Amino acid sequence: MTRKMVFVDTSKCTGCKACDVACKEWNELPAEKTHLITSYQTQKDFTPKTWTYMTFIEKYENQKMNFLMRKAQCFHCAEAACLKACSSNAISKTDSGYVVIDHDKCIGCGYCEENCPFGVPKADQANKKYYKCTGCIERVENNLKPACVHTCQPGALEFGERVVLLGQAKKRLTEVQKTNPKAQIYGEKEMGGTTFLYLLLDRPEVYGLPANPTIPLSLTLWKDVIQPVGGIAVGGAGAAVAVGVLANLLRGNYRSSEDDSNNHANS
Amino acid sequence: MAINTQIKNPAQKQIDPNKVLRFTKGERLSHWVHAIAFFVLLFTGLGVLSTFFQPAMLGVGGIQVARLIHRGVAVVFVVVVGLMFFVGNPRYHWEWLKSVFNFTRADLQHVTAFPKEFFGAHGTYPPQDKYNGGEKINSLITIFGSVFITLSGMVMWFATSFPPGLVRWAYPVHDLSMIMMTAATIGHMYLCLLHPDSNPALAGMINGYVSTKFARSHHAKWYDRVKDEQNNS
Ligand code: HEM
Repeated sequence: MTRKMVFVDTSKCTGCKACDVACKEWNELPAEKTHLITSYQTQKDFTPKTWTYMTFIEKYENQKMNFLMRKAQCFHCAEAACLKACSSNAISKTDSGYVVIDHDKCIGCGYCEENCPFGVPKADQANKKYYKCTGCIERVENNLKPACVHTCQPGALEFGERVVLLGQAKKRLTEVQKTNPKAQIYGEKEMGGTTFLYLLLDRPEVYGLPANPTIPLSLTLWKDVIQPVGGIAVGGAGAAVAVGVLANLLRGNYRSSEDDSNNHANS
Repeated sequence: MAINTQIKNPAQKQIDPNKVLRFTKGERLSHWVHAIAFFVLLFTGLGVLSTFFQPAMLGVGGIQVARLIHRGVAVVFVVVVGLMFFVGNPRYHWEWLKSVFNFTRADLQHVTAFPKEFFGAHGTYPPQDKYNGGEKINSLITIFGSVFITLSGMVMWFATSFPPGLVRWAYPVHDLSMIMMTAATIGHMYLCLLHPDSNPALAGMINGYVSTKFARSHHAKWYDRVKDEQNNS
């Protein structure tokens, strides 16, 4: 399957939260008790049962307040830190660009959550497994749109081929920049290009997003240097021991020391 | 030093003149608690590190049980050995610590000559103290490895209490410490179990005593001091 994309056009979003509800319904996720975080935001973070939610930033300019609204969910990164960090090969990426967790393999170590620049995966404490947005992979593979896209009324969510939608997103950006000069695309290059790509009305930091999300240096060092080089070092120590035993055998050292150590054992 | 323990412990008074006390009960206890805990931690940790080792965790009841064991034994690994520096007769623990941080020229000469000996030939180096250069390096790897693996392990255990930026660094630190200690352990076990010349040292860590012959040939500086102290008492 070709690389897919969901275009999240925040300039069209009305903050109705229908996407939240559609996600819960399709994925059979129970409702959770919500709290007011800001005037309209009722969910603070992802949970194992809440894979998408709306963030509302209240932005004051010239005595006027504007809502900056954003549907948050897994970005489905092309270069996914979670996948690289996973201890159990439980995370994989599809050709279509979806990053999915295999719950049979997940052991709940939490390396994915700690390394995700957006802190997306969350653990179910009861079964020790991590959950996050699947991108409705099973719908997409059956030629349906993801549930959130399907339900979006103002047309803030669009699903399609990445090459096509990316062009569309850029066209839309020039239009939006006429009224919102700080508007920008987020996800074209970030993390190798994300499957959920945003048109934001302001800088990512204003939305609480990292300006330059990357695979953490510590993760690269851990998985690409320390583990492979360490494996060789431990193997080298083992090989040195094997050579040592052989050398002692050939030199006849075991025979000559035999009486010696027997003495110690007996005395 | 040796004479002091012998006075304190009357049972050890009438000892074979061909033997020297090398490790007290407390030291031996620390060593073996640390060693056994280390292997359990290594085994259960590898179950998390790689899917290659994960199936072996069925032996302890599955990966979730292994993760619990890892945390429980980590406490033993740290607390028991840590306590031994303060309860009982901790003097020898502190002497060991002081000694391994005092790396002398003779130690360096031992380390440079040792590869030959490792492979069964004869290396020449000046008389060694209670701990030779190689033992000091092994001790230093154990000390720094234990400190770093404990600090990083605690950050990983209580990840939600620490910023992700720190937790992310704990992972490579934990693995690097594990690798250094595992490599050192492989060499350590070879020397005590399979190396004909070093193997007599094992008795010292099991029943406390080594033969005077071994003490004189491997740790002459230490042996002379012990003899001196005995004669002067
Ligand atoms: C002394 C205190 C220690 C603590 C508190 C500690 C704690 C932890 C924790 C919380 C994890 C994360 C995995 C999980 O969530 O189950 C872990 C992983 C691990 N630990 Fe430890 N540990 C300690 C000592 C050791 C020692 C002595 C070794 C081995 C010699 C070791 C080897 C490992 C390995 C190999 C991993 C897997 C790392 C990876 O996935 O790359 N740990 N440890």
